[in-house]
Amino acid sequence: MMNRFNHLPTLKIDTSEKIPFTYKGKQYYGTKGDTVATALYANGVRIYARSLKYHRPRGLYSMDGECSNTMMEINGVPNVRTETTLLKPGMVIKEQNVKGSAENDLMGFIDKMDWAMPAGFYYDTMHKPARIWPVAMKQIRKAAGIGKLSPDHHMPGRYDEIFPTCDVCVIGGGPAGMTAALAAAEKGLRVILMEVRPWLGGQFDYRTAEYANRQTCHDRAVQLAKEVEKTDNIRVFTHTANVGAYNNNLITGFQVGTEKDSFTERYIEIRANSVVVATGCIERPLLFENNERPGVMQAGCALRLANTYGMLPGKTGVFSIGHDLGLEAAVALHDLGMTIPMIADIREDGQDPALLKAVTDRKITLLKGWVATEAHGRKQVKKVTLKSLDGTAEKTFDCDVLVASAGFTPLTGPLVVNQAKLKYDAHTNFFLPTDLPKKMHAAGRLLGYENAESIEASGQLAGLKAAYDCENCSIADLGEAKKIMESVPGPARGTKLVMAPVKGRKTFICFDEDTSIKNVKQSIDKGFDVPELIKRFSGAGLGPGQAGIPGHNLPLFTAKYQALPDIKIRPTTVRPPLVPTLIATYAGTNHTMLKRTPIDDLQRKDGGIFRNIGVWQRARYFSKDFTSRKEIENVRDRIANLLGPLGQPTHIEKVGRVVCVGGGIGVAPLHPIAKGMKQAGNEVVTIIGARSRELVILEDEMTAIADRCICCTDDGSYGRKALVTEPLKELCIIPGMTTGIFSGKPHGCHGGDQPVPGPNARKVTEKVVNIDVSNEAFGFSECKEFKVADTIPVKAMRLGCG
Amino acid sequence: MALTITCPICGKRNGYEFRYGGEEKGPRPDEKDLTPESWCDYVHMNKCVAGVQQEWWFHRDGCGSWFTIFRDTTTNLEKETPEAKE
Amino acid sequence: MFFKSKPMWGKKTKLKSSYDVVLIGGGLHSLATAYYLAKEHGITDVAIIEKNYIGYGGAGRNTAIVRANQRTQYNVPLYKEALDLWPVLTKELDYNLMFNNCGNLNLMHSEAAMNAARMNIATAQFHGVESHLIDAKEAKELVPALNISEDITFPIHGAMFHPPGGVVRHDAVVWGLAKGAAKMGVEIHQQTEATGISTKNGKVTAVVTDKGIINTKQVLISAGGYSASLIHGFLGIKLPISVLTIQAMVTQPLKPILDHVVSSGAYHCYANQTLKGEIATGAHMDQWPNYTTLNTAHYIKHQAEALSEFLPALRGVRFMRIWGGLADMTPDMAPIMDGNEQVEGFFMDCGWGYFGFKSCSAVGRHMASFMATNTCPDILKPFALKRYQEHRLMGETAALVNYTPDN
Repeated sequence: MMNRFNHLPTLKIDTSEKIPFTYKGKQYYGTKGDTVATALYANGVRIYARSLKYHRPRGLYSMDGECSNTMMEINGVPNVRTETTLLKPGMVIKEQNVKGSAENDLMGFIDKMDWAMPAGFYYDTMHKPARIWPVAMKQIRKAAGIGKLSPDHHMPGRYDEIFPTCDVCVIGGGPAGMTAALAAAEKGLRVILMEVRPWLGGQFDYRTAEYANRQTCHDRAVQLAKEVEKTDNIRVFTHTANVGAYNNNLITGFQVGTEKDSFTERYIEIRANSVVVATGCIERPLLFENNERPGVMQAGCALRLANTYGMLPGKTGVFSIGHDLGLEAAVALHDLGMTIPMIADIREDGQDPALLKAVTDRKITLLKGWVATEAHGRKQVKKVTLKSLDGTAEKTFDCDVLVASAGFTPLTGPLVVNQAKLKYDAHTNFFLPTDLPKKMHAAGRLLGYENAESIEASGQLAGLKAAYDCENCSIADLGEAKKIMESVPGPARGTKLVMAPVKGRKTFICFDEDTSIKNVKQSIDKGFDVPELIKRFSGAGLGPGQAGIPGHNLPLFTAKYQALPDIKIRPTTVRPPLVPTLIATYAGTNHTMLKRTPIDDLQRKDGGIFRNIGVWQRARYFSKDFTSRKEIENVRDRIANLLGPLGQPTHIEKVGRVVCVGGGIGVAPLHPIAKGMKQAGNEVVTIIGARSRELVILEDEMTAIADRCICCTDDGSYGRKALVTEPLKELCIIPGMTTGIFSGKPHGCHGGDQPVPGPNARKVTEKVVNIDVSNEAFGFSECKEFKVADTIPVKAMRLGCG
Repeated sequence: MALTITCPICGKRNGYEFRYGGEEKGPRPDEKDLTPESWCDYVHMNKCVAGVQQEWWFHRDGCGSWFTIFRDTTTNLEKETPEAKE
Repeated sequence: MFFKSKPMWGKKTKLKSSYDVVLIGGGLHSLATAYYLAKEHGITDVAIIEKNYIGYGGAGRNTAIVRANQRTQYNVPLYKEALDLWPVLTKELDYNLMFNNCGNLNLMHSEAAMNAARMNIATAQFHGVESHLIDAKEAKELVPALNISEDITFPIHGAMFHPPGGVVRHDAVVWGLAKGAAKMGVEIHQQTEATGISTKNGKVTAVVTDKGIINTKQVLISAGGYSASLIHGFLGIKLPISVLTIQAMVTQPLKPILDHVVSSGAYHCYANQTLKGEIATGAHMDQWPNYTTLNTAHYIKHQAEALSEFLPALRGVRFMRIWGGLADMTPDMAPIMDGNEQVEGFFMDCGWGYFGFKSCSAVGRHMASFMATNTCPDILKPFALKRYQEHRLMGETAALVNYTPDN
């Protein structure tokens, strides 16, 4: 196992704590804070999987989970993105889609068969003669698919769901997102901030470049995060991926639980008045031969391996980049001990002078206007060929890591799925969002800002715009923020390069579906001339990572290959979920969709066979003899279906400490129970909840009888902003207390009715009720309210005439 | 998509509380001189406007009122008037 | 290189000023009609006018399920013919439509549903369509992932098993038919929008497009979900149609786990595994008419809840992509196919709801014969628009989801 750095301020690992896990049947150790992918990397694993079609070796590439390169099976669950999944003790990790192992895959020969498999080849083959198709289909099905799932698989873990509301929802917890959240919160608004990584900070978090006045970007991230955390009206959801955005600002996402949480993952559906999207950028893949060979990785990935997870990506790293982050990463990795023989920068000019100086000071060779054209090495990068952009000059270097990144591409997903349009912008080389939906704002790096000052200013402005939507911000304040925005540097220029000067037989535009540049050309030649059709025909962007890898390059390449002007460059459609989400997570608590009657338990005990009647589940039979003969005879001769009393009265005794939990109007029936419990000598804590301040009832009454009354509201407009279960959880973890829990629900819920049919109905009824049920007192079709057994309030109607 | 409908009594609410009640088709035809055509027209026929249309809604899980609104069928957003354009 | 890449449906040509027949809509029904017009009637001077690109609408957005277990005597033969055509078309078009004849399993969750299935099966068997009733245990043998326990919301009582059904690669059908039609001279004009139909003395004279006017005597509107709006807009003919957005989704690809198409009316959910290994699932329609084709948070969650119950193993898979398309629903859930009735030379083929894919081949063939001979084939006669006036609605509720916005 590799030695890990333990002195960097940016680290998220704790090297003192080792975490055991099983990989391919053997025990390994990771470090606390590792993701599964980084733990494997630290243990020398470089090939994580084999690709879908050609079984090409695949390794760690981006760390953001936009491709299937590092998908593995964990604890029996297939297709888990190991690069975004935190390592937990005892995890059992297996490779997928391999015959043999990822290292030595017997199916690897298919990589050489690509000449027989042009785009859409299966449409032209395997149907002549017709009888071979069923056989071929069976083989296709076996070869397709990535993970394996057994038909009796039981999904471990607990899944939950919450539906909070807020004034402003900020998606993205980087510098722009945090600034926006703070700006809106300062105006007194209730803010929700969601961040996909387990911590706030975004791109600032792992960067040690100077922010201002000797403060590093990382320091600034920590400072902003502290401010956010101490602001009461910002509710932060970390490790929460945004998956959908719908009109009228309904935002959905899911949160991965920590050890302390009661859930494994939970579905979150937020209704916000206004939304700020500050999701930032991912890197745009560089296209060259073998551009996905293990050892090729993006700049942010290499930098985070070192700064966040404390290990060097390799001994010798060649860089082929097109942005300042690449230069920054090269300098940082050099300082941590990596040998860097050469940096090829796509750009001829425009680099940050300070970074250029840092590169020169370290005597690293920088070639401007150069790019990687081929990665060599059968399973891992061993050598790389670099060429000048015009393809005339060529150099080759030995290396074990090739950091390759063409530029950035904005994560506009939440805006686009909520019907914003994208327009190609030649300056940034981004697809920039236009026609934003009402009360939705964009901020930060996704607009092309690279300068720290501009990023925060755009966050401030977006936060205030959102506050303005909520009518909590003056025009003057907004004007001020706009003025500041005008004074800071505008969007940075983006690199234009689509592809290194290569033919593209093994240049992959989509990793998940093994779509090469050659396949795209074939598709276009066949008449599939718009990106959306190329997607369908060649599969590019239809794999587990969706458009993460090809999203930007495919439309650019298509336009270039057809010699279209900029205005005709059309992006491909983005579809939710923006991050693939477990069915278990979407299902959430997955409560039964049917209502149950108060005597449900009793009927089940009596062997009732249940059927669904409308929204109710009721006992239909009491014997396997479905003729219901006995019941019919009972109704004719005696009485049937009387199974009361309708639920048991609350059993009141001294147990020690009692927590009474109720929500909404459920607080009402809870009140007498709480009172009784107190009278019996218990310590009584009541937790009452409501959607908002206006809906809290009986608080004074509850406070008067209980030792302590905790009030919660969903929106935080009164008491604690929490579900009633949150204080309950805290109360329950006090050790050594005897605790009974009662929950209140409104009685008289309609549909829980019980018929009392038969000639003996009156005889039985009169024994258990406190009113006169004689023919004279309780008329036909009359409705009365009374109590059964002096305890259960009921509403009854007389139906029979006898 | 997350439809909201503005009920004249309850205000703006989640669209799933409501039941769609059909296109506004004017008054029920007079039973005198009623032809199969005009009755079929009233009962079954729709204009299927791809744009703003006037339509009936019933606040099923709310106050129970019936009312008409203008809605753009291409965006699912409510409009003030049939001409409203954005 | 084995295969040369050349344009599959001919080089792009300029729109001519007149054609014998103009088909509005570049979906499967138009393509199939064009294909059979050329193949069986020798009418090749045909233009297909498509606003976006072929297969943009329902043709490319369905979950590709094919079956013939409809409910009424008028519908079953039509769907049966369509089902039998897939292998024939694969051969004729020399294009692998990837018909996976895996069989459909309709789950029944109550005694009433079992009885309804019995009636359905009787109709199917009468028309020579294989379909039979199986109990929950047999269903579990066919689909081991099925949860047949009693403690789910809608316990499974049994299923209607329809072995000749299955899945066809929908994109392949679009491209294959386009290839076949283009080869015989049909012109496919993409990125061309029809904006009106000109008539004179109750006869069609021309189709107006954004690329110019086309003189023609015959025009067919089969533009899927957009048909009703176009027909009303162009000719003022109102139709008993409500256009709803219907959604579908796929999960990340898995090794084979589901060998049949499984559907459940009570859960509003169907699922099948594509050849690529993704679990394709869907069913829900918005409960109000709209043309958005947008998906909803409400639905993807519902779908997860439903799958969690009757196919609980799938809780371990991830949804990867959800999309929406349009379903033009009629009150009796049966299509409207008519021609030469309201305006001479005007034909329509719409109201297919979510059955348009399954039926396209057979319908294209009969519509072609209708247009070529100007006589309505017997099989299409019950589907005329007049049936609504005559109170002869079809009661076609073999469908998975039997609601329209009106119920």
